[in-house]
Amino acid sequence: MSSLRHVHPRRASERGAETAVSAAPPVVVEGLCKQYVRGGIATPVLRGVDLRVERGECVFLTGPSGSGKSTLLAILGCILTPDAGVVRILGENLGLLDAHRRTLLRRQRIGFVFQRFQLLRGLTALHNVAVPLQLCGVPPATALVRAMRLLEQVGLRERAHALPSQLSAGQCQRVALARALAVEPELILADEPTANLDEHHGLEAMRLLRELAAARGRTLVVVTHDVRILPFADRVFRLEHGRLQPWEARLVDAGGTTGV
Amino acid sequence: MLALWSIALRTLVAERGKFITALVGVVFSVVLVNVQGGLFLGLLRKASLLVDCGGADIWVGHRGMFNVDLAADIPRRWVYRVRSVPGVAVAQPYLLGHSTMTLPDGGFESVLVIGCERSTLLGNAWMMREGRAADVVRTDGIIVDAWEAVKLGDPQVGSLREIGRRRARVVGTSDGILGFLITPYVFTTLDRASEFLHKPSDVCSYVLVQLEPGADAHQVCHEIRRRLPKADAWPREVYSRMCVEYWIRRTGLGISFGCSTLLGLLVGMVIVAQTLYASVLDRIQEFGTLKAMGADHGQLYRMLLAQAVFMAALGSAGGVILVALIVGAFSTPVAPIVTPAWLVGASTVLVVVVCVLSSLLPFWRVRRVDPLLVLQS
Repeated sequence: MSSLRHVHPRRASERGAETAVSAAPPVVVEGLCKQYVRGGIATPVLRGVDLRVERGECVFLTGPSGSGKSTLLAILGCILTPDAGVVRILGENLGLLDAHRRTLLRRQRIGFVFQRFQLLRGLTALHNVAVPLQLCGVPPATALVRAMRLLEQVGLRERAHALPSQLSAGQCQRVALARALAVEPELILADEPTANLDEHHGLEAMRLLRELAAARGRTLVVVTHDVRILPFADRVFRLEHGRLQPWEARLVDAGGTTGV
Repeated sequence: MLALWSIALRTLVAERGKFITALVGVVFSVVLVNVQGGLFLGLLRKASLLVDCGGADIWVGHRGMFNVDLAADIPRRWVYRVRSVPGVAVAQPYLLGHSTMTLPDGGFESVLVIGCERSTLLGNAWMMREGRAADVVRTDGIIVDAWEAVKLGDPQVGSLREIGRRRARVVGTSDGILGFLITPYVFTTLDRASEFLHKPSDVCSYVLVQLEPGADAHQVCHEIRRRLPKADAWPREVYSRMCVEYWIRRTGLGISFGCSTLLGLLVGMVIVAQTLYASVLDRIQEFGTLKAMGADHGQLYRMLLAQAVFMAALGSAGGVILVALIVGAFSTPVAPIVTPAWLVGASTVLVVVVCVLSSLLPFWRVRRVDPLLVLQS
């Protein structure tokens, strides 16, 4: 727990090597249960989910709508807390962290890529990428220099000063990828990163995300319905009826309508 | 913190329409507070103008004196008693009283006649537009204010009037010596004032005192009161304050101006709060995104606070400029708008406080934003 207090995003890349807790797998989930109560009726969403993701690994989670993929991702991202089971994210047992420390963990060590990009409308691409750094207290000037470097890496240097409304969907998602990497997070969580993109841009965005994560040795967990991008995964899991099971390779290779 | 300000200001300015609406609200608040406050101060200044600018260090009058324009008669012989008090350099009788001026068209106007001793002219008119103040000693001489021209039938230097059925000749016009009451001041000499007012020559309204250098006004007042038990004596500043307080307490002026000023502040606060709140509602997803990225409530509140303070600062600056223009264009001796630095400063601080309070409403909404919503899109 103490590793959170002194973490600084500028040294995020060294954190894994320095801290003992970071030597553990970035994601360890054992017997995770989660239920929602609506109108007084409890609906179980996750029923004893087990998952272990190694450092630098790329894991995809698929499953039908309402199967609990987003709930699982929200728990891995410290947005939701489990009802039962043990969840260790980057060596931290979520059950032992208070809300503030979970927020710090999310801010400093986890990057998010959202389905609808979720860029701030009033900020340029450059400033959008700088937001996570500024939330971590990096001075604006330094944050902008680092944001520009990231935009270069996603091929958007020329569009750095464009507003989201002036960018195409593919460009917006590349800005979102750069933003997710801004604080050099050890764990990147992507929620349907290609859902709002056509085939070409979807594959391009996924390739870019995979390359950037791999180049930094980051761990990637992707929730997706898009079977076209499954080949990018090291392992694929299917979430159905609240349980997680390994995805069969033949279905991935088929690439057709698989019911995910 | 600086980093968050940067994000906050950029997102605020990006919503140009809403931003300008909020700014207008703040500017409106600042203008209303300053103009209302300025009119109030201007009115109060008129209430004590004679005391503040009459040239006397101490005002001696009937016991219980409370307002310069509403004086009671005192024996003129008190002047000699006052002159005998150590520290008094000059003591002169001063007469005030209501009379009626007959106008050239046959109409009439109530006036407040002010008579000063011709040897020193202590308490005579000062800001002159036409003629010299000293001309008041000329035969039948009176000085009226140029801003009262409409009431007094457009008096010019040399024109004749009748006051208390006595002939009066305008020998000069002053420029902005107006009292709190609607009754115009007419300056003349003490003896002529007695004639206009049909008062015996052995009474006056006040004894005006000028002190010797180094004399303590409060001590001299104390000594005067000791020697003249039926008199009251007050230093200029004290009597000035008494005159002002009289009108505030007797007329409820402070409450009325205070309410309208408060209303201005409230309107400004509602506009700023409503604008910030609407802006937050419009960007719920963005706040959810910020929360998902690890922004805590403290950071989000500081962002809203930054937006509110920025609007307050910019709105105050715009408001102060507008107030300066309004004062330049509309402030006259009839309706003076007095905006001292402390009023401008206090109104700015008030508006900033109001804007900061306004930011609490949208924050209340932001607190309830669930970051999960950005994963459920």
